[in-house]
Amino acid sequence: MSFRWDIIFEYAPFLLKGALLTIGLSVSSILIGTFLGLLIGLGKIMRNKVLAAPFYFYVTVFRGTPLLVQIFLIHFGIVPFFTGETNAVAAGVIALSLNAAAYIAEIFRAGIQSIDNGQMEGARSLGMTHAQTMIHVVLPQAFKRMIPPLGNEFIVLLKDSSLLCVIAAPELMYWGKAMGSQYFKVWEPYLACAFIYLFLTLVLSFALNGLERRLKTV
Amino acid sequence: MLKKVSFLVFAVVASLLLILTGCGKDKEVVTTGKEEDANGKTLRIVTDANYAPFEFLEGNKVVGFDIDFIKAVAKEAGYEAKVESVGWDPIFVEIESKRADVAVSAITVNDERKQTYDFSVPYFLSTNKILVPEKSDIKSGDELKGNSIAVQTGTTGQEAVEKLLGKNHKDIKKFENNNLAIQELLQGGAAAVVADNTVVEEYVKNNPDQKLKVVEDSQAFNEEFYGLMFPKGSELKADFDKAVNAIYENGKYAEIYKEWFGVEPDLETLKAQQ
Repeated sequence: MSFRWDIIFEYAPFLLKGALLTIGLSVSSILIGTFLGLLIGLGKIMRNKVLAAPFYFYVTVFRGTPLLVQIFLIHFGIVPFFTGETNAVAAGVIALSLNAAAYIAEIFRAGIQSIDNGQMEGARSLGMTHAQTMIHVVLPQAFKRMIPPLGNEFIVLLKDSSLLCVIAAPELMYWGKAMGSQYFKVWEPYLACAFIYLFLTLVLSFALNGLERRLKTV
Repeated sequence: MLKKVSFLVFAVVASLLLILTGCGKDKEVVTTGKEEDANGKTLRIVTDANYAPFEFLEGNKVVGFDIDFIKAVAKEAGYEAKVESVGWDPIFVEIESKRADVAVSAITVNDERKQTYDFSVPYFLSTNKILVPEKSDIKSGDELKGNSIAVQTGTTGQEAVEKLLGKNHKDIKKFENNNLAIQELLQGGAAAVVADNTVVEEYVKNNPDQKLKVVEDSQAFNEEFYGLMFPKGSELKADFDKAVNAIYENGKYAEIYKEWFGVEPDLETLKAQQ
């Protein structure tokens, strides 16, 4: 069995276009997911159990069901319910960010709770309000501890975006599959995809390492 | 410590057992009762059980016209058949690498595929048709241009649409299977689905409440013939060709055909292709 470079070259423009969409989907989902995750994480640590309940529920549902199932539900159910038609890219961003938000919420919660209670007490005794303490004392320290697990989550999210090929979102994996089914080949399309995904996750982890180093307390 | 280890061992064994029970699911052995026959070998037959009424899952059993057909043919040729649903793209990989003996999955015989695989004599006549909502204005293949079309990836439906719109055109949405493509149409994400006539006609018949109709365009879409697919150079081809013709003659084919499609098969056209 010979390795057909020619079909990789033929599909290179599509793979490139797909990779760009993969980047777009991942970056926007990371941003939206992080924002939602922060809100949900803060919601979960509220002392009022009734107010915190919906946030618990959210994390339970989105962490407790497979992303693939969520993708189908959002693509064929929720998006058409509101807009009357399907949109694979929109459904992809929604599914990825909602799913990531559940995990990121847990990362935020763990980060905040890992900061010693004495910090809160100390700041409060200096006359700062609870919110001020959160923003100026607890969150900046917690954020540093959250970077490694957040980095993990971002990398997982980038790779999970490949699941969107099932709803024909023209991202990297979609074109890999198109190439595979045209030529009935396995090695060429999927190795090419694997290589591009690896490159993308490497870039992402370099960026996160850099961020971690810069924020390191002296 | 020992307790912990033995618990871990138990957990690993238990989970492997679970996996094994999962594997046995959609395989089915058909005994032909000709065990004294020297040929009585069990063949591994692969399909993609996602294409009603040709092959689909009923519970965990693979059923459909193709399945009844291959069982009859295998019996005629003196083999035992074990049908397994592996998915569409994997069929071609399994056959090319000779891990499976025969594929039956409404596979259209074309020159491109003939380069890599061997096919039996044709056993089914089909053409691609367009599935659209009842109120759609699309009346021909040409009018598909400018609309987004959902197809099953790797099918002749995809090929036919790419011939009209251009290869890998942005308006073509390729799905893993036909059900997802039709779902995309129902939810308004595509203006039409192009697939084999029997499949779209069956869908319309079984789902009258979805308000869909089938558009025919014999100019844009040619007649196609399905064949059993073998690895290149397979010795089974000759046996199966003979068996297919035998069940054409003895009425078994017509019986199965009528059972699934309710009409008499056009045997003349099929035989003329041989």
